[in-house]
Amino acid sequence: MNRTNKYDFLGYIAFAVIILLGVPFLLGFDGFELNTFARYLALAMVAMALALSWGTAGLLNLGQAATFGIGSYVMAMHLKLAASTNNPGGMPDFMGWTNVESLPWFWQPFHSLTVTLLAGLLLPAAVAGLMAAFMFRGRITGVFVAIITLAFMVALQLVFIEEQRFTGGQNGLTGLAPLSLPGWTVDTYSLSFYYLVAGCLIVALLLGMLVVRSKVGLVLRAIREDASRVRYFGYDVASYETFVFCLSAAIAGWAGMLYTLVLEFASPTYMSVSFSLAIVIWCAVGGRESLVWAAVGAILVNLAEGRLSDVFVEGWLLILGLVFILFVIFLPRGLYGLALAMVDRLRGAPRTDATLPVKEG
Amino acid sequence: MTVLDIQNLTVQFGGLKAVNGLNLQVKMGELRCLLGPNGAGKSTTLDLICGKTRATSGKIMFDGTDITELAEYRRARCGIGRKFQVPSVFKELTVIENIEIARSRRPGLWAALSTFRTPIRGRVKDVLDRVSLVEHIDTKAGNLSHGQTQWLEIAMLLAQDSKLILMDEPTAGMTIQETLKTAEIFNSLRGEHTIIVVEHDMQFVRQVAQRVTVMNQGSVLADGSIAEIEADARVKAVYLGH
Ligand SMILES: Nc1ncnc2c1ncn2[C@@H]1O[C@H](COP(=O)(O)OP(=O)(O)O)[C@@H](O)[C@H]1O
Ligand SMILES: [Mg+2]
Repeated sequence: MNRTNKYDFLGYIAFAVIILLGVPFLLGFDGFELNTFARYLALAMVAMALALSWGTAGLLNLGQAATFGIGSYVMAMHLKLAASTNNPGGMPDFMGWTNVESLPWFWQPFHSLTVTLLAGLLLPAAVAGLMAAFMFRGRITGVFVAIITLAFMVALQLVFIEEQRFTGGQNGLTGLAPLSLPGWTVDTYSLSFYYLVAGCLIVALLLGMLVVRSKVGLVLRAIREDASRVRYFGYDVASYETFVFCLSAAIAGWAGMLYTLVLEFASPTYMSVSFSLAIVIWCAVGGRESLVWAAVGAILVNLAEGRLSDVFVEGWLLILGLVFILFVIFLPRGLYGLALAMVDRLRGAPRTDATLPVKEG
Repeated sequence: MTVLDIQNLTVQFGGLKAVNGLNLQVKMGELRCLLGPNGAGKSTTLDLICGKTRATSGKIMFDGTDITELAEYRRARCGIGRKFQVPSVFKELTVIENIEIARSRRPGLWAALSTFRTPIRGRVKDVLDRVSLVEHIDTKAGNLSHGQTQWLEIAMLLAQDSKLILMDEPTAGMTIQETLKTAEIFNSLRGEHTIIVVEHDMQFVRQVAQRVTVMNQGSVLADGSIAEIEADARVKAVYLGH
């Protein structure tokens, strides 16, 4: 199909090699460093999920952190139950403190690992699907999508904070058991755990790229440009938009599950406005048109945050905001656009404009 | 056999009846020209047929089914294709990608998920040859010349391969040669496709039209062969006269 897809695929291979071989080597196979990097990879996954809907279809989900948060709580509920087997009624400790009589019905299914893993993907997808059905059947587009998804996330976060008896409230879910897979109790400071997270990211990227390279991706890019024209060719635009929204949410939920494993707790801050905006910034820095570059953007910004936020404790958010503004002004296509322009210059081909903004959806 | 049957169709914008009790029958394989002064309701009529605008009252039958209330993508799936007055190709997509979008035999999500490329053969190749864009398949549509953009749009309609093709001023801004070539393409399409063209260029209309319908103030003023229309005194008064 088109040129950029070819480069995307090469970029994908290079990315996979670096993540699987380069990074562990550079970090000297140090468990602590690998754990930190695994955290970046989980965040890269949610950035890539946002790029899937924002970059291809122009649908900016400002509530992406909501679906990420649902995934992370699902995993945390499973691990919390595993850590509570010796408590009265098998109930999490915080429920005892708040006089909950017995384990609520919606906690019960999370005893099962299979249910947990499925729910971590399907619950976010279902929630996104409901929102999408409401928005896209009503032909809501552009900035209204951003506002509605943001409002939904704020409401959801409030529920998680307020319903302390069932969710652990402001503290979130802490004191989790390690994940126990058949034949493997996961040690989050091990190389194998790093490979688990890296493997998930690489599989998710591959899935996303297959969708983007298929005709679905093409139709979505056409929708970004002119949705009504697409309808006159017989495509049900709403179903395409709903699909990409659900897929993006499922991947975000997946990333959320991994994030809980890495940090060993789930917190309502995972559903906060500032976290959701950070995802948008990572995407913008990497380049939202490319899934791989969005992931790279997330990794680079978080690496920088890891190094710099100790130095500029108060100023980090300000720096991040500034970086975002600079990118929007000077590199609206992100590092991806810069890379494209450089490749074109090397080949002596007519130049791709790194600074040309992509059309807003 | 009548493929399109418009019965007493009306649409009201505020106080204005842009289309007012319109009756129009088009036969299978016919190439019908729609004439009329500016504001006569020609574009609005096409909008009503393809679903861009919903009728206030009246009925549109296409191929035996009532499509008056259908969503636009469903009408497209029934076999109605539309070219708009303003050129509308996907500028961010390449020529071949534009054609791939237009070539929507299986527009469903699941079919699209398992489609990775449209091979350049058969009708796709044919269409690209016809409009001389084979050399430019990987050019971004936004980088085409004005003429090429027009061709691309016509190629997209051909690739879509609709039973009924609605064209709004397809030769606007074309050179004489380009207009001739367009007329040629239209003539080769008749029979296989049913076409309704809104056109101002009388030269072009003489070359392609079998039957002409003249609209004025939202309804049919006259209807007949090009010779009959040119001789009609009422038509002269509202349209050809100035
Ligand atoms: N969406 C709309 N809202 C209000 N008025 C409209 C709309 N579309 C068309 N009109 C009006 O309807 C009349 C017919 O327009 P149109 O069908 O575009 O005419 P034509 O194509 O024959 O020149 C014009 O007076 C136009 O201003
Ligand atoms: Mg018009």
